[in-house]
Formats: sequence, structure tokens, C-alpha cells
Amino acid sequence: MASRFWTQVGGGDSETEEEESDLEYEVQAGAKEGGQDVGNGSKYLRSDSDSEDSDDQKRVVRSAKDKRFDEMVHTVEQVKNSMKINDWVSIEENYDKLNKQLEKVFRVTESEVVPRVYIKALVMLEDFLAQALANKDAKKKMSPSNAKALNYMKQKLKKNNKQYEVEIEKFRENPESEVEEDKDSEMMDQSETESEAGYSDEEPDKIIGFSDSDAGDEEPEGGDGPWEKQKTRKEKIMDKQFAKDPSEISWEMVDKKVKEIIAARGRKGTDRAEQIEQLTYLLRVAKTPAQKLEVLMHVVSAQFDVNLSLNTHMPINVWKKSVQNVLSMLDILAQYPNIVLEDAMDPEMENESQKGADYDGPIHIWGNIVAFLERIDDEFFKSLQFIDPHTKDYVERLRDEPLFMVLAQNVQDYLERIGDMKAAARVALRRLEHVYYKPQAVYEAMRMQSRSVTTGENIDDGDSELDDEDRQMTKFSSDMKGPPAFVSVLEIVPRQPSFPELSRTLMDQLLSLIYRVGDERTKPRAMLCDIYYHAVSEEFHTARDLLLMSHLQDSVQHMDISTQILFNRAMAQLGLCAFRASLISEAHSCLSELYAGGRVKELLAQGVQQSRYYEKTPEQEKLERRRQMPFHMHINLELLEAVHLVSAMLLEVPNMAASALDPKKKVISKNFRRLIESSEKLAFIGPPENVRDHVMAATRALSRGDAEKAIEVIQSLDVWKLLPKKDHVLKMLKGKIQEEALRTYLFTYSPYYDALSLDQLIKMFTLSESQVHSIVSKMIVAEELHASWDQPTRCIVTHNVEPTRLQALAAQFAEKLTVLMDSNEKAYEAYTGGSLDGPPAGRRKESQDYASVTTGRWQGELSTAQGKQSSYSRYGSTGQRSLFNVGRTSQSRVGGTGGYKDLRSTQGNVRGGTTYSSTFQSTRYQDAYSSVGRTPYQSGSSVRGGQTDASGRMVSLTRSGRF
Amino acid sequence: MAQYDLTYKIAPYLERHLVFPLLEFLQERNLYSDDQILKAKIELLAKTNMVDYAMDIHKSLYHTEDVPEAMVERRAEVVGKMKMLEEAAAPLINFLQNPALVQELQSDKQSNLQKLNERHQIGPNQIEALYQFAKFQFECGNYSGAADYLYQYRTLCTNSDRSLSALWGKLAAEILMQNWDVALEELNRLKEVIDSKNFSSPLSQLQNRTWLMHWSLFVYFNHENGRNAIIELFFQERYLNAIQTNAHHLLRYLAIAVIINKRRRNSLKDLVKVIQQEQYTYKDPITEFLECLFVNYDFEKAQQKLFECGEVIENDFFLGKQAQEGSFVTVPLRDEFLENARLFIFETYCRIHQCIDIRMLAEKLNMDYDDAERWIVNLIRNARLDAMIDSKMGTVIMGTQRSSVYEQIIESTKQLSIRSYMLANGVVAAAAATQGYNL
Repeated sequence: MASRFWTQVGGGDSETEEEESDLEYEVQAGAKEGGQDVGNGSKYLRSDSDSEDSDDQKRVVRSAKDKRFDEMVHTVEQVKNSMKINDWVSIEENYDKLNKQLEKVFRVTESEVVPRVYIKALVMLEDFLAQALANKDAKKKMSPSNAKALNYMKQKLKKNNKQYEVEIEKFRENPESEVEEDKDSEMMDQSETESEAGYSDEEPDKIIGFSDSDAGDEEPEGGDGPWEKQKTRKEKIMDKQFAKDPSEISWEMVDKKVKEIIAARGRKGTDRAEQIEQLTYLLRVAKTPAQKLEVLMHVVSAQFDVNLSLNTHMPINVWKKSVQNVLSMLDILAQYPNIVLEDAMDPEMENESQKGADYDGPIHIWGNIVAFLERIDDEFFKSLQFIDPHTKDYVERLRDEPLFMVLAQNVQDYLERIGDMKAAARVALRRLEHVYYKPQAVYEAMRMQSRSVTTGENIDDGDSELDDEDRQMTKFSSDMKGPPAFVSVLEIVPRQPSFPELSRTLMDQLLSLIYRVGDERTKPRAMLCDIYYHAVSEEFHTARDLLLMSHLQDSVQHMDISTQILFNRAMAQLGLCAFRASLISEAHSCLSELYAGGRVKELLAQGVQQSRYYEKTPEQEKLERRRQMPFHMHINLELLEAVHLVSAMLLEVPNMAASALDPKKKVISKNFRRLIESSEKLAFIGPPENVRDHVMAATRALSRGDAEKAIEVIQSLDVWKLLPKKDHVLKMLKGKIQEEALRTYLFTYSPYYDALSLDQLIKMFTLSESQVHSIVSKMIVAEELHASWDQPTRCIVTHNVEPTRLQALAAQFAEKLTVLMDSNEKAYEAYTGGSLDGPPAGRRKESQDYASVTTGRWQGELSTAQGKQSSYSRYGSTGQRSLFNVGRTSQSRVGGTGGYKDLRSTQGNVRGGTTYSSTFQSTRYQDAYSSVGRTPYQSGSSVRGGQTDASGRMVSLTRSGRF
Repeated sequence: MAQYDLTYKIAPYLERHLVFPLLEFLQERNLYSDDQILKAKIELLAKTNMVDYAMDIHKSLYHTEDVPEAMVERRAEVVGKMKMLEEAAAPLINFLQNPALVQELQSDKQSNLQKLNERHQIGPNQIEALYQFAKFQFECGNYSGAADYLYQYRTLCTNSDRSLSALWGKLAAEILMQNWDVALEELNRLKEVIDSKNFSSPLSQLQNRTWLMHWSLFVYFNHENGRNAIIELFFQERYLNAIQTNAHHLLRYLAIAVIINKRRRNSLKDLVKVIQQEQYTYKDPITEFLECLFVNYDFEKAQQKLFECGEVIENDFFLGKQAQEGSFVTVPLRDEFLENARLFIFETYCRIHQCIDIRMLAEKLNMDYDDAERWIVNLIRNARLDAMIDSKMGTVIMGTQRSSVYEQIIESTKQLSIRSYMLANGVVAAAAATQGYNL
């Protein structure tokens, strides 16, 4: 029975009994070495235990999957044993166990692929059952329980096998075809092949071993891992095909074989890993450099094919191999400058690669090295997205970055050499995007690391932490073994990245190239990277000027989503930078819009956020996941929130105190107001836990004018330690809080005082005299505080001009009338399309103030559009400051909304950009930014605006008459 | 004070010849060593044709009578070239020197050219030669000749780029000859051309504007009406932009012009805004003074800055013009500036105080008690200040100047009726129009 199975498995129909016994002998010898019990049991058992044994030696760590498989294999063994003694009871038992284990395997591997072991067992059982049923005599002799079990098995097997009909059929047809399928991408398959390898250990010998004398020698060499084993086997297949001697292989043969392999590409049932191996082999026997290059192209394409899904990343070792392959492509290209890569291929040029190394004219080869590079970059990015950032793997992966950088650098050099500047700019952008977010310190670390790695002989070999497998892979790919490559290419292209000392230098190199030759997409992206970098390196004004001059905030909504994310990231970073430079209102205007929608995570692509009001479709979610930033590029959200809320607090608290009774309240931060409202609703206020709680607690203290408490609460936030210059920032914060507390105090309590002593205020807020004087003076001038100094007594004397109820109402009424009037006029203008010619220009300007107040209510594009005209004209025809795209000004006038781009609106979402961006906040923001003449942050004038306004209304000693 | 010297910033925007007066001034002020300045002069002259002058400077710099070979050679070369150019332009010059013939020319350029070509065989080549000759004359330091030729060239030239260059040349020549009236005219002409012309790139237009502003400093600070004109020019949006983009240092001149100009108080607000925006790139005592006074209300610091301002003005070529008054040498602009600045401080001070000690005020204003009191009394008497002096306490008490609530309301509603009237009219008109249409 067993022998019958064996014949099937072995696939050799003409096997003689002798051979089999030979085999048995060999196996037994092997088992002896392993110290196993040799005497009893069939060769199945022995060979299998053998494989298990070697398995254990090789790999100490076993995953859950492996364990399940081993269990299964074990059960199969038991079935086999029982079959020997015809014990149907135990067969039945084990069979049930096997089915249970199958379920477990499914659970672990999360796939529906039935392990081969299982199918094999099924086939084995089926055959055995048929035999048992056929043997009527034996059946009669069976014990009743045994016969009963046999009948049960008959039924069960019949029922169960139906499910796996196809697989069984396949197995029977070709018991080893699927052996190597997906061995790279799927651990499961790997362990399967391991177990397989155990019993088909000597297969290669049977297939080709006898015909190829070399193979015997090579076998033990490569025989220490399933990977190698298969490879050598393949080689042997290949060797057979190419009649052993590489020198006999002609160009045509290689060409034919390549075509054959390529033709099979993508077809169902093609083994992708095998393809790579075959191609890699062909690489060695390629006849001309051009052909070698051609084959290399195919190898890399095939390597990209290994992982077909968009949602998972390419295995890291394959990635590394493809990097090496592209590097050797560059070697060839550098060595033979007459080889030209072309995207579009003429059919006539098909045999170009036949031309040898000494051919002088240009040789055209199909291929696009930039596409390869971009794919490699994408895969790198993707792998970082998928690896858990808190593991060592992630760090390991990050270390591969210099490897990519050197590749990109070489590709760029090559492109510059052949004069393809457009592509060079694209590559430069790729490099830029690996650098821009790194502060000098991080950059330095990368530089040092890349240097230490490359002190080793080879990039990969030098890295001792790579696992053995990887090392073998690289060895394999670098022609360490097997016949020497026919065309040997020197390593011309440098394998070491050469980073300039300062990241700024690198940035400048890349940027100047991109600005010079880049296209519509690369230029803005490069600009954004530059802005980001400036913000990271504490150059707020440079970054801001760049942003304003490029008009990016207007055009960004026409760009692709990833650029919009980059824009948002740059804005966030700019906000943080402004905060560190103690430019509070600038920081707030940079960040407020980011927080307006409550979708920070989505806008920055740092995690998927579930919206309460809105369900995402799975597709959208998938898309969003694909956009995510890898962890090391994240901007700390807590810090961002803290910065946003603290700056909102510093601006909003005095503002609220100032306009507590004011009917036309100016809201600076809606988001912050909302938070205050919700925190006010709380009946009991617990100790602060998160950032928001802290800021709310500080807000409560601040609105009482209790600076000390507010400072204490804010300074207890943990996130500040993420700031590079923590002490400096905290000191700045302290000062700011003290100032704002003074202002709040004056706003809130000055109506209840006749006079306030300067010295008292100094003591209360621990500010210097000049500071207090300056703040109070500013408030007086801005008419925020109705008071004046009494210099001899060092007092502030308040003029209590609190209107009576009637007066206040009357004022309010007048105010409302004006607003009504304005809206009437606007309605009229909208209706007739023209404006009233009557009102003098001066008044028109004044009405813009109201317009900005009421935009929230009117949502009118009209009102804002009018307000904007004046600010645009400021920059007028010019756009002169815009560094790279002057023509953009006209565009910016058209796309008149929202600085921050709503990512979803481009996806055709319901919550489109218009409603979102025509809110008060965004228009203000946009107004500010688009008016470019760097009156940028309008908030500057709207918050403390009065003060500059007021200087026009000076006491004016020059006025002619008395009041 | 050398840190506030702007010569090195301004020089790149000027003609070589225009830098000379600046260097001369610096030499007088002794901010830098003589050697340095002389070296700079030689360098400056190296590219001009004023070889004789360069030789003189060389002699005084190295105290020798020897002149390097290169200079002698260059002299010969220059003279030779001058001859050649003169010959080339001779026919046209002869023609132009004959007033009778010039009379015949009409306003129409094309017909003039035709006439010249037909009657006098003067073609485009000769006209081009005239331009080259004028340029050469200018480079040799013969400004009046250059100015004349350029003027005539402009009447004949058809190439707009060339005519722009000619305009620049003319302006430079006039400035160097100190013909301020003519220079002002040329300046305005040039400005028109720059603003109207379609430049190949906005960048070159910006560049031209920046030049124009720098050159205009010569004119405006010397012409009697220049102080108004400079404010007008610099506050024009495009020019303000140019200042903010690549000539921040011009803010100093703008600030001074605004401070000394009593009628331009309202531009102060804009100025302060711009200064604040640019303070991270440009800062000098004058802008800092304004910032202290109108942004931070830090009077002490303002006082301190004011002191520095005086020195800066003295050491600035454009501002520090000296005037002889008997045996005194004064810098009129500085005095004017200080006076106005002091007034500014006082005004601002009054705005936020209701009661001020005269003694302290006198200190702040750099006056003694009596002077200060007199000054204040004068201000009050001239109806410029709503205040009283409490002579017993030695204080000034400011009058309150709040408008009542009623006034405020009336003020805000005043226009409503007119506006609604207009609106109603508009609506009626529109309605009538549509009715008419329907009928």
C-alpha cells in the first residue's frame, strides 16, 4: 500500500524495487545520524521525522502557524501508522482530529488555502480505503468495532472529499507542482514545502541528478535550507535545459527563454518566485551587456510582481534585491554609455541586445529606470506604513533609507548625464521627500549610520543584523556561487551614499534642480518641502514668505491629495514654528483651520479617524489608509493640539473678556469657544488629564486673571518636553500668560475701579514696570480700556463710560441697522449685478468690516469676494515675489476659498469644500494669506488691530479747532 | 555708527557715477579709513572711462607719481575709441548743431526719420552711433554733453529698450549735474515708462522700480517739493511692494520723510504697519523709534532711539546735507526731524495721560522746565491742545475728549438714511427698467 503511494508521489513510473530500497537505505542512514529510532516504522515516518529534525536545527523560533502545521503533520503520521496495522478505529479518531486542526490552520493563516499535507493525507486515506474495501477477506476478519469504524470512514471521507475535489485531483495529477507556490509571500507555504522537502528530499536526484553529475556535488552545499534547496534544484533544471555548459548557450537561447518566461508572466498558475530565479540564472548566462540589462529589467519587474496586492508591501529581502539589481543596471549603463533606455519600444529594435559590448552605435533597450526607482520608493514607503512602528523591525527598515538614497542619487546622476532633466527633477523630488522632514540632528544620525554601514565590504553584508536568509540571498544575487557570470560588470556606480554635511546643502542642491527643470507637480511639492524644512529649522519668516510668495494656499486645492496633505503638514509645522518663535497669533492662524473640522488626523494623514456624522465607504477607508504617513514622519498630534489650544487661549480669553457685553462679538477661535462651552456645562470638574483638560483649566484661571495658576497648569503638560528648546518656550509662555492675564483682568474688572495703581498691577502679575505700562498704554490707545494715566500718582484713572441700558440698546440698534443696510445693498448688488454708484468709496471700505463680521451668517461669497478685491490688487499685476510661478496670481483669484483644502471634496464627497471653507475662519485666513503683500495674518490687525488703527486718530495737535 | 551706514546696500542699485558723491561724503564723515574709500573709488573707476581721475586717486592713495601701465594703456584706448565714435556720430551731430535744420523736425518720428534719411543720409546706423557716443561721453564724465545727446537721441529713436536706457542715462546725467528740476521731470517720465511698459518679466519690472526708487533719493532729498513726492512715490502699492521685496533699507528714507512732513500724518499708520512687518529683516534707529512709540508705547526707549537717530541722519548722504548759517554748521533735516519726533512723543504721551508732570516732560523732551512750560503754553494757545496747566502742582491736565453716547449713535446712523434713499432709488429704477422691458 505504502509503496503504491510512494510511486505516485515520486512520480517516477519506472522505478524499480531496487531503487526504492536504495532510497530506503539512504534515508535510514540519514536518520541514524539524527539519533532517531531507526529500527521500526516505515520510511514515511522516518523520512518525515528526519525533516522535522532538521527543521528544528534550522529554526529555533517557530510561529503559531508552524506549530499548527507540525501538529497536522504529526497527526498524518499517526494515520499512517494506524494504516499499517489496519486499525480503523484510530484512523477514524485521527481523521477527526485532522479536520479540527485544519480549521485551526485556517484560523491562524487567515486564508482558505488547504495545506498540501492535508490533501495528501486525504488522497492517502482514499486510496487506502479503496484497497481495504476491495480486500473482502480482510474485511471479514476485522473486529466488529474496526469494521464499524471502516464504514464510518467510508461515509465521512466520501462526504468530506467532495469539498476538496479539485485539490485532490490536482494533487493526483501532479503531486509536486504546487510545491513552491508563493513561498516568499506566505509562511504557510514555506512550512508546507519544508515538510514536503522532507519526504521528497531525493527527488532532484531522481529527476535530474542522474543525468547531471555536477548536481550531486552541489546538493550538500545548498542543502541547509528549503530556500536554497529549491533554488539549486531549479538551477539544475535550468542546467539541463541549457545543456550544462554555459559557454554553449547562445544569445538566441537566452532571448528565447526570456521571452518564454515573460510570456508566462501574469498568467494564472505561473510561479512568480520561480520566474525570478530563472531570470536571475539567465542574468548570469546573458551574452551581451545589453542583454544582461534587458534581463535585469525583467528581473526587477518580476520582483515587483511578487506582491500583487496594493495593500501589502513587498517583502523586504526582495526589495533589497531589486535595489541591488537596479544598481547593477546603472553599472551597465555607466560602463556602456551607448546603451539607451527607452520607454516606447519599436518592434524593429527587438534584437538590439544582440549587439555586443564592442558595438559602437547606440543600443536601444526597453525600460524606464525612473519608474523602477519610484516603485522602489513607493514600496519602501508602504513597508513603513505596514510595519508596526514600535518594533525593532521598523527601525531596521528605516536603516534601509540610505540604501534608497544612494540608489536615487545614482539614478539622478545617470539622468543628468543623459540629459533627461525632467525625470531628474522627479528623482530629486523623491530624494527631497526623504530629507525634508528631518531636522539637522536626525539628518546627522542618518549620515553617520549610512557611513558606518558602508564601512563594511558590502552594504548588506556589513549589516550583521540581517538574517541569514537575506545574506544568502544577496550572496546568491551577487554571483557568489554557480557558474561565473558571462558578462561581468564592474561596480562603477558608488554604493555609498555621499551626504553633504548640512542637510540644508542637500536641500538646496535638490531644490535648485527642481525649480529649474521641474514640472507642475514637482515644483509646488518641492516648495512645500522647503517650507516644511524651514519651519522645522526655526526659520519662520523665510518659510512664511515662501508660502505667501508662491501662492500655494490658493492653488493647492487643485492639486492631488498627497500634495494637499503635504501642504497641511507644512502648515502644521509652520504653526509650531511660529509658536516656538513666540508669534502666538501667527501660530493660531496657521493651525486654527486645521482644527476647524475636527479632522486633524485625516488632514495630516496620521491615522484614520471615525467621524460621528459620516460613514466612510470601505473604498474610501482603504484609500485613506494608503495615504497614511509612516510613523517617523508624524507630527506629534498632542503637541500640535497643545500649541493650537494654548495660542487660541491666549488670544481668545482677553478677547472674550473685552467683548463680554459687546453685541457684535468677534470670535477668534470657534473651536476653542466650543470647548469652553462644553467645559462650562460640566457640573463637576475633575483634575485635568489630557491636553484639552489642561488648557481648559488654565483658561478658567486666566479668565479670573489668575496668571500663576494658569502658568502652573500649562507648564505641567507633558508634551512640552517634545520641544527642542523647552525652557525657552516655557519662559515665553509664562510671559505671554502674564500679559494676557493682565489684559483680561483689566477688561473684566476695570469697570469696578475708579483708579488702579501701577505698582499694585506690577505686583499682581509679576511683570516689569515698562511691560505693564506698555500693555496698559496700548489698551488705552486702542480704546479697549477707557482710562488714562495719571502720571504723578502712578495710577490708571478709569473713565467709566459704561452706557446705560437704554444707551447700550440704542447703540446696538444702530449697529443692527447698519448691518441690515449692508445686506440690503449686497442683495441689491447681487440682484442687479452692479453696485450702487452712490456710496462714496470711503464708506465702501468701511462696509467690508461688517462684511467680515457677518460672513458667518451670510455665507456669501459676494461679501468676501468684495473684501478680497482690494487685497488682491495690492499685489496687483505683479506676483513678483513669487519665485516660481507668476502666472499663478490669476489662478488664485478664481479659486477663492479656503486655505486648507478639504481632502474629501476632491473625492466628490458630500461635505464638500464650499461650506467648509466659506466659514469665517477660512476666509479670514485666506484673505490674509492671499493678500500676499504680507499683511498676512489679518488676525494681527483684527485682534489688536485697534491699536494701529487708532494711531490715525491721534490727539492730533494739528487739528484746526477745538472740539 | 558704521553699522547703520547704507552705502553698501544702496550702491548696487546705482550707476557707478552716482556712487561717487556717496563715497565723497563718506570720506568727509570719516566713518571709514581713507585708504578704504580711495580703493573703492579706484575700483569704481576701473570700469568707467574717467582714466585721468583714476590716475589722480591712484597717486594720492599710494603717494607716488607712478601710474600703472594698465591705466596708461587704457587711457590711450579710451581716447582712441572716443575719436572713433565721434566720427561715426559726426553727421548726425553736425545736423543737430544746426538749429535751422532742427527746426524742421516735426513731432512725427517716422516722417522725421524719413526726412533725415532722404536729405542728410542719416540712417539708423548714425542714430545708433549717437547713442554710443553719448554713452561714452557719460562714461568719460562729460555729463552735460551726454545729457544733450541723449535728449536728442530720444527724439529720434524707435527702439523702446534703447529709449529706456537713454532715459536712465539722461536722469543720471541730470542728477550728477544737480539739475534737480530737470531730473525730477526725467524721473517722472521714467516712472511712467516703467509702470506702463510691458516688461518681459515682472522681475525685471521690479528691478527697474527698485532702481528708480534709489535714484529718486538724489532728487527728492534735494528738490524742494521732494518730500511730498517721495511719500507719494514710495507709498504707491507697487513701489511699497518693491521696497518690501528687495530694498528694505529704503524704509529709513520713507520713515524720515513721513515724520518731517506734517501734512502726511495719516500715512504714519501704514508706515508703522510696514515697519512692523519688515522688522525681522530691517531695523535701524529710525524705524525702531517709530516702533517704540507707536507699537510698544515705550517712551524711554523712544527717547534713546531718537538720540541715535540724530547721528544716523548726520551720517547719511541723502539726509545729512549740511547748511551754513553764519558760523554754524547745521543739518537742517536733522533738526526738523528731531523737532517733529519730539512732537510725536508728546502727542502720544498726551493721548494716554490725563495728568502729566511738567518736570518729567521737560526731561523727556530734552528741555529745561521753563522751556517746556513755554512750549506747552504755546501749543495750548495755538489751539492745538486741549489742556490746562496747574502751575501750583507743576502739572499739565488734559481735557477729556470723549464724545457722548448720543453723538456716537448719531454718527453711526447718519448715513443710513442717505444710503437707504439710494437703495430705494436703485430698486425703483431697476423695477422701472424691467417694467419698461416687459411693456
